[in-house]
Amino acid sequence: MDAVKLTIDGKEVTTTKGTTVIQAAAEAGITIPHYCYHPKLTIAGNCRMCLVEIEKMPKLQIACNTQASEGMAVETQSPKVLAARKAVMEFLLINHPLDCPICDQAGECWLQDYYMQHDLQASRFAEGKQHERKREVFGPHVVFDGERCIKCTRCVRFLQEVTRTDELTVVDRGDHSTIALFPGTVLDNPLSANINDICPVGALTDRDFRFRVRVWYLQKTPSICPGCSTGCNISVESYQNRIARFKPRINEEVNSHWICDEGRYCFYALTDVERITAPLIRQEGGLVPTDWKTALGAVISVLSGAQPVCGVLSGRNTNEEAFLFAKLLRRLSPQARLEVYYRERKLTEVEKILKSPDRSPNFRGARDMGVSDDGFEPLLSDLLDGKFRSAYFVGEDLLREVAQGEKVRQALKKLSFLVVQDTHLSETAKLAHVVLPAVNFAEKEGTYTNRKGRIQRLRPALVPPAGARQDLEIFSLLLARVGEPIRRATPGEIFLEIAREVPRYRGLTYESIGNLGVQIES
Amino acid sequence: MEKLLLRNIEAPNSHTLELYRSRGGYRALGKVVRELSPEQLIGEVKASGLRGRGGAGFPTGMKWGFVPKDSPKPKYVVCNADESEPGTFKDRLLIEKDPHAIIEGTIIAAYSIGSHTAFIYIRGELVYGANVLQRAIEEAYRAGYLGKNILGSGYDLDLILHRGAGAYICGEETGLLSSLEGGRGWPKVKPPFPATHGLFGCPTVVNNVETLAALPWIIDQGPAKYAALGTEKSKGTKLFSVSGHIRRPGVYEVEMGYPFRQFLEQDCGGVPNGRKLKGVIPGGASMPVLRADEIEGVRMDYESFQAAGTMLGSGGVIVMDDTTCMVKAAWNIARFFAHESCGQCSPCREGCHWMEKIFSRIENGQGRKEDPDLVLSISGNIQGNTICPFGDAAAWPAAAFIKKYRAEFEAHIAQQRCAVLASE
Ligand SMILES: Cc1cc2nc3c(=O)[nH]c(=O)nc-3n(C[C@H](O)[C@H](O)[C@H](O)COP(=O)(O)O)c2cc1C
Ligand code: SF4
Ligand code: SF4
Ligand code: SF4
Ligand code: FES
Repeated sequence: MDAVKLTIDGKEVTTTKGTTVIQAAAEAGITIPHYCYHPKLTIAGNCRMCLVEIEKMPKLQIACNTQASEGMAVETQSPKVLAARKAVMEFLLINHPLDCPICDQAGECWLQDYYMQHDLQASRFAEGKQHERKREVFGPHVVFDGERCIKCTRCVRFLQEVTRTDELTVVDRGDHSTIALFPGTVLDNPLSANINDICPVGALTDRDFRFRVRVWYLQKTPSICPGCSTGCNISVESYQNRIARFKPRINEEVNSHWICDEGRYCFYALTDVERITAPLIRQEGGLVPTDWKTALGAVISVLSGAQPVCGVLSGRNTNEEAFLFAKLLRRLSPQARLEVYYRERKLTEVEKILKSPDRSPNFRGARDMGVSDDGFEPLLSDLLDGKFRSAYFVGEDLLREVAQGEKVRQALKKLSFLVVQDTHLSETAKLAHVVLPAVNFAEKEGTYTNRKGRIQRLRPALVPPAGARQDLEIFSLLLARVGEPIRRATPGEIFLEIAREVPRYRGLTYESIGNLGVQIES
Repeated sequence: MEKLLLRNIEAPNSHTLELYRSRGGYRALGKVVRELSPEQLIGEVKASGLRGRGGAGFPTGMKWGFVPKDSPKPKYVVCNADESEPGTFKDRLLIEKDPHAIIEGTIIAAYSIGSHTAFIYIRGELVYGANVLQRAIEEAYRAGYLGKNILGSGYDLDLILHRGAGAYICGEETGLLSSLEGGRGWPKVKPPFPATHGLFGCPTVVNNVETLAALPWIIDQGPAKYAALGTEKSKGTKLFSVSGHIRRPGVYEVEMGYPFRQFLEQDCGGVPNGRKLKGVIPGGASMPVLRADEIEGVRMDYESFQAAGTMLGSGGVIVMDDTTCMVKAAWNIARFFAHESCGQCSPCREGCHWMEKIFSRIENGQGRKEDPDLVLSISGNIQGNTICPFGDAAAWPAAAFIKKYRAEFEAHIAQQRCAVLASE
């Protein structure tokens, strides 16, 4: 590709032919303010916020639609540019309501931010403001405020170009222009909530997150969506030790700028549960709380005597956990059958844009760690056929997940020993002989390997309740009891061990994974 | 002066093929398809000096020359018959009275770029005109001027009449193309330009009705004869639609460079009822107004109007006598633009309505001292910063009215009522 050299604010910038000025500037670390431009959507050129001055051109040009060319001299801070930017801000604000105190976008609103950076003038608008529809529900996740809308058409273009579902359009003309659903449509496609993210202002907001918490109180943790094995990069945003929302993190190798609606709201099912905070052990009359020493002791002594044993790990367990789980069960019984929970379902065309057909974000990593013999379905049918005497289930409520729930119940009842490790007393856990209280995806650190073989880091966003223990810690305590003590059972240390022992992970470190992950050969 | 564009309109049944042909109609087409290569044709039109009559005055031959010759895509020609600029009604006359001149011109333009499908996009309100054109197109098909193998030359062309839904912005060429594609009449961001990426992304030429209607005469009589008319840079003749406070309103064909004052006072009979001229907009509502004292020495051509601080535009001459309230006139025009802004880009969408609201307030006795300067500032902030020239078209007249009749605005604001009516 041909290289093009230009200057932006006097700085020499080299880019490839075909790159627009706004992109070239971004590559050089210069942000040209913009609303309608979005790197993943076609150019609309309607907001006019990105106007810049280009040598030899009499008029200001929009940076989002101007291709960088050899020798071009671009000014993004000249007096003429600053004046135009201020003017555009003024135009966008004259009819904008003074909603900030009650607007959910406040704090991450591009109007607010750019007002502070580029406008800062008192209103010269003495007229009555244009009124528009407020609080119109577009779909299960999206609510629209027409007065706040700046008509950038990002939402419309997303639905035309990314999902190709075309629910929204622009109607009416002039300053009556507004965004509307096509008659008879609902905005309920599987990626619908992304338009809340790309709306630069408070016109589209998330019905779930709305009014929950002011965004400046949110604690943001870069992590991985636990919804499926695509492994979308997310920011887990929490307040007072509860997850308030997931937001996509940009990763062009994985999810680009998007996440699916199912993933976005999956944290409810995973975290809104009544936590168990002490180990439970079965006595006559049922499960009763006990101490860790008793519980762990029972697991080792009974499990090793009740062969054959099977172990099922959740697809939300990390590579590090899977590594120790495999070590533990193989140590207890070299014939132990191990699987990570994995089932597929059919996806619609729009779902396929992003989603994988499973609910096991780390099934591939768990298999890489040795938690896999013949696949999950054969193990399940052997379980139903009564081929095992004992079982160790981690983090997956098999009775609920599997269609043949009643058959599974009967099979589990026949086991002489069942250990369940989970955050809550699931239907499966109610049948267990020992229940070990563990933590959820948002409370742990570790790595996931997605479907395509990309290793990415999961980071703890929440503090687990007192009494529950990290899965990694539980496995290492059990390993110590079978004579294989782990010296430093931190995720980072275990990962180094994985990097020594698992061929495809050889030589990797936590640092090399970074925020966007690394690809292992597939 | 010999009439070129209006040569047929007085004749009974001027809209029929029979009449048109009896006066030499379609002779030019025969010459074009039999004797001229597209390059030669473009050369002739360049030599004539013909410039686009849709408002911008862009040289027609040059515009055709921009269309890539080697593009594998289909190419299109669109006749812009959306005429909706207030004060402009010259295309309508041609459409209703001489439709075959437009059709012949459109075929010639299509031949020049190797297009095999052409459109006439007609303003929705022109129902009668659309019927006339449709009948004329059918006649032309039957006579072998349209369709396959035109006049035995091997050249094919289909011509489709498309009625707009009645929006001024669909006269802007890329708004027109969006509408013709079946979308909202939203102007497109440029580049790319229609010459390479026009209708459905294919190379396209958009020409005004009057531009196209001039072509048969130019080819038939020869470009030199056309170029001999007019001034050095503004060749030929131009239609002007004259309305307002004038004794003989109507459509006039004028040789470029004709003295403006003489035109108004003699050809059009001057301001009636013993009133005095107060101002005149020479090029349709989107062009800056001239005060009476500013028309002295102005000639009716692109360069002279520009030197006077306005533009020839579409040739819509709106005459205002001294009973006209210039605040009200400015408001009227601002209201039109506020209503017609397509709403796509921020400065025009918001700015047009803002200016309209301020003019309305001043007119209704609620003006503030700072309002005239505020309008000038808003107008300046729109100009040059929008997707299409509509922004300028709305901003220029607003600023011109204030600059040229500032005292009247100030009196309005100070007295909180109309100073013109008060002086009656
Ligand atoms: C707001 C706006 C409205 C326009 N309306 C018309 C119109 O009604 N008819 C027309 O021929 N050109 C109109 N134009 C000019 C067209 O964009 C275009 O320049 C013209 O059709 C080209 O033809 P020409 O080269 O023959 O002049 C308009 C331009 C603008 C900005
Ligand atoms: S969209 Fe932004 S500027 Fe508008 S009310 Fe909401 S926070 Fe305030
Ligand atoms: S709703 Fe938001 S994204 Fe859609 S056009 Fe309005 S401001 Fe833009
Ligand atoms: S300048 Fe006005 S009419 Fe033209 S695209 Fe922008 S909003 Fe639409
Ligand atoms: S970002 Fe370029 S015009 Fe909106």
